[in-house]
Amino acid sequence: MLLEVRDLHVEFHTRDGVAKAVNGVDYSVDAGETLAVLGESGSGKSVTAQAVMGILDIPPGRISQGEILFQGQDLLKLKEEERRKIRGAKMAMVFQDALSSLNPVISVGDQLGEMFQVHKGMSRKDSKAKAVELMDRVRIPAAKERVGQYPHQFSGGMRQRIMIAMALALEPELIIADEPTTALDVTVQAQVMDLLAELQRELNMGLILITHDLGVVADVADKIAVMYAGRIVEQAPVHEIYKAPAHPYTRGLLDSIPRLDQKGQELYAIKGLPPNLLAIPPGCAFNPRCPMAQDVCRTDVPPLYDVTESPVPRSSACHFWKECLHG
Amino acid sequence: MGRYVIRRLLQMIPVFFGATLLIFLMVNVMGDPIAGLCGDRQCDPATAAQLEKEFGLDKPVWQQYLTYMGNVFTGDFGTAFNGQPVTELMASAFPVTIRLTIVAIFFEIVIGISLGVVTGLKRGRPVDTTVLLLTLVVLSVPTFVTGLLVQLLLGVKWGWIKPAVSPEATFSELIVPGLVLASVSLAYVTRLTRTSIAENKRADYVRTAVAKGLPRRRVISRHLLRNSLIPVVTFIGADVGALMGGAIVTERIFNIHGVGYQLYQGIVRQNTQTVVGFVTILVLVFLLANLLVDLLYAVLDPRIRYA
Amino acid sequence: MPEQPEPLESYEEGQAIAPTGAGGASDLATAEGETLEKTPGGPLGTGADKKPRSLWSDAWRDLRRNPIFIISSLVILFLVVISIWPQLIASGDPLDCDLSKAQEGSQPGHPFGFNGQGCDVYTRTVYGARTSVTVGVLATLGVAVLGGILGGLAGFFGGAWDGVLSRITDVFFAIPVVLGGLVLLSVVTSSTVWPVIGFMVLLGWPQLSRIARGSVITAKQNDYVQAARALGASNSRMMLRHIAPNAIAPVIVVATIALGTYIALEATLSYLGVGLKPPTVSWGIDISSASQYIRNAPHMLLWPAGALAITVLAFIMLGDAVRDALDPKLR
Repeated sequence: MLLEVRDLHVEFHTRDGVAKAVNGVDYSVDAGETLAVLGESGSGKSVTAQAVMGILDIPPGRISQGEILFQGQDLLKLKEEERRKIRGAKMAMVFQDALSSLNPVISVGDQLGEMFQVHKGMSRKDSKAKAVELMDRVRIPAAKERVGQYPHQFSGGMRQRIMIAMALALEPELIIADEPTTALDVTVQAQVMDLLAELQRELNMGLILITHDLGVVADVADKIAVMYAGRIVEQAPVHEIYKAPAHPYTRGLLDSIPRLDQKGQELYAIKGLPPNLLAIPPGCAFNPRCPMAQDVCRTDVPPLYDVTESPVPRSSACHFWKECLHG
Repeated sequence: MGRYVIRRLLQMIPVFFGATLLIFLMVNVMGDPIAGLCGDRQCDPATAAQLEKEFGLDKPVWQQYLTYMGNVFTGDFGTAFNGQPVTELMASAFPVTIRLTIVAIFFEIVIGISLGVVTGLKRGRPVDTTVLLLTLVVLSVPTFVTGLLVQLLLGVKWGWIKPAVSPEATFSELIVPGLVLASVSLAYVTRLTRTSIAENKRADYVRTAVAKGLPRRRVISRHLLRNSLIPVVTFIGADVGALMGGAIVTERIFNIHGVGYQLYQGIVRQNTQTVVGFVTILVLVFLLANLLVDLLYAVLDPRIRYA
Repeated sequence: MPEQPEPLESYEEGQAIAPTGAGGASDLATAEGETLEKTPGGPLGTGADKKPRSLWSDAWRDLRRNPIFIISSLVILFLVVISIWPQLIASGDPLDCDLSKAQEGSQPGHPFGFNGQGCDVYTRTVYGARTSVTVGVLATLGVAVLGGILGGLAGFFGGAWDGVLSRITDVFFAIPVVLGGLVLLSVVTSSTVWPVIGFMVLLGWPQLSRIARGSVITAKQNDYVQAARALGASNSRMMLRHIAPNAIAPVIVVATIALGTYIALEATLSYLGVGLKPPTVSWGIDISSASQYIRNAPHMLLWPAGALAITVLAFIMLGDAVRDALDPKLR
């Protein structure tokens, strides 16, 4: 296994109390595999990814428990300098907003080339040539001429390609893409997503795709982990989950996608708001919003049940997963 | 970029004439422009009338202003109370004040920026709180009080420096007065740098730099500092003009014979030519410094350059 | 100052009414540091149980917990009280001087000693607060009203009026404040506070007008203001109901800090001999006359200077704290 996250807990110490952002997450990705992590904002999907990358702000953040095994090695036990050498070289990250994520006062060529200078000790000149190569690879037209330009001179799609090029620079084993297409126009979204998927196949990388957009997921992901209030509530191969979700939250997400064959009907929306992480409800965190909630949901935290009816590994954190699956 | 420079230059022109006209009017209010021209005594009415005619003082103010400006552009700034051309006074005074300003700017950059970077990176820690409180205190004590206290302690009590600066006003003599002159701006630079660093520290591109696996040192020096120092550099640039104009208090305390000293003499002796001449130059310095800052800004920030 | 995208120019103004020399810090109120760490934004849930709070009530909640705000408010309250009733803590007359006691040090009944003319330093220091507070408050009110209205109108209407006002502002900015004071006030013989206040309003309004202009432009761009405009709200209604309440925060912050600056400026001008004149009791005058005796009797300098510094500090800290509380960027 390329990456295994085991029982990860992350909390943030704030003036108002301790916010429990991640409460026992387990997931794994293999080389060449794509894991989509799905959830609303505040569900802990980005915080988990930042913990894996080692770019959490500590303090106020704190990893209170868990293991992050990368190629069999627990990253949390490494010294900061050792982790730094892994970052960017063996695992890389693509951020949501390329305009703010790229340095506005440094040319894109220098920002790309920096990877080679720092990790490979290349000269400035050689790394510049590498930068042009990378820009070609993510299909930025006239790369040679544009290598000296600044981020604000590129379009949104082109900027995101630069972000991807930067992540790919040293051909890492693992890429984490945090909502890579959310900030883009719909027409550009597909192009960028295709590019990412294609490069992933080519280099046989593991990909963690963080998103709240179920539409993006169906085409590219192998498996899906749905997160709610810092926990994984359902994990399954992508097609299984679309066919029949085993958690009411997943069902709610699927039902709230507009569909052409239901034109004219009112769109479904999950009622209520995501929980306050300073005071997560007892029992199942989703119970106040759940249409299927019973008394047991308000008292007992549901474990991650194996969905035994499925031929492939699948799990759900719902006491009533059977009812949900068949309902 | 070229058009940007030209536009800024054109904008400077009305401001220059507006500011000098304003000063001209203010000095006219100030009183008797021919006082002091007859030595230490009052001029008798006949001589006064003759002098007024000679200097064109019987004409309307706007005409006087135009005549004066015309003269200024040919390098004639008029005559000071002691019969010396004003330009001669300038030649002796400006080098002194420029040296003083250089010392002050040096302190602003070295001390202000370093303290700002340290506190910005260690925000909320004891070192940050201490420096922050210190800057507040420095900001609150008016320069003339700081100057007097420094003179009292270093000059009189402990005898580390001479309480007054010699007429040569060498760099080494100007270290302490320069620090006094810089004090308020220095505290401000510290705070500005601190805020800028603290704000940019949370920026997405800094997170990207960390995610790229760059060493902390490089993240700070190459990514964080470059962006954070843009507002600081522009402040310091603009401060050059303000410091030269504000040096009058410091120069008075330490008895430095610079621009402030000459201006003060001009005002006390009600010599309009000296006052208007010096202030005109100071306004010009202020405007040029600001222009320079704008250009610097464009150099530092490509978003402006290519706008 | 560099020309940036327009609204930016305002609140983050890097320079001000020539702080240097005047000992001022009018430009403290720019995009500046916070004293308390704010709650990190990202990972928190939206919190279903928390009502959204308004900017002001949120700011008030922050301020009540901020020791800097509490201390500076108490100091200012004390200053205001003794400016109105100096007799509360000083029984003597600040103009009752006895030359035979000149420069004498501390003695019973006269804890701060006597100054060069044999006046009681303690009494004069107490009475000096009245002058400083009067000058500071009146000058700030004048500047805020004049600058706020002119700048606000320029920001609201834009166009030629805005262009002209911006150039006028530039002109005033180009003149060093202390120099302007020296020139204008050197002919004044009146010993009242009015010429000094008038001068400060004359040279101070551009700073506030710039701030007000910028914050009105920012407020104007808010969606709900655009919506009100689309719904046909009249200009005056838009200004009073929608823009003014949102644009006023930066003006208040800058004005508070400017108040401290004006007190420092009055003292500086008085020190240079062109500000207030005796028999007015002013810290600036006392510091100025004490500076002649700095070798023999430094106590005469230290008390009024200390009082001046604490007063200015209190206003600057108050403005600083209010700014931190009101600046949504730092939330």
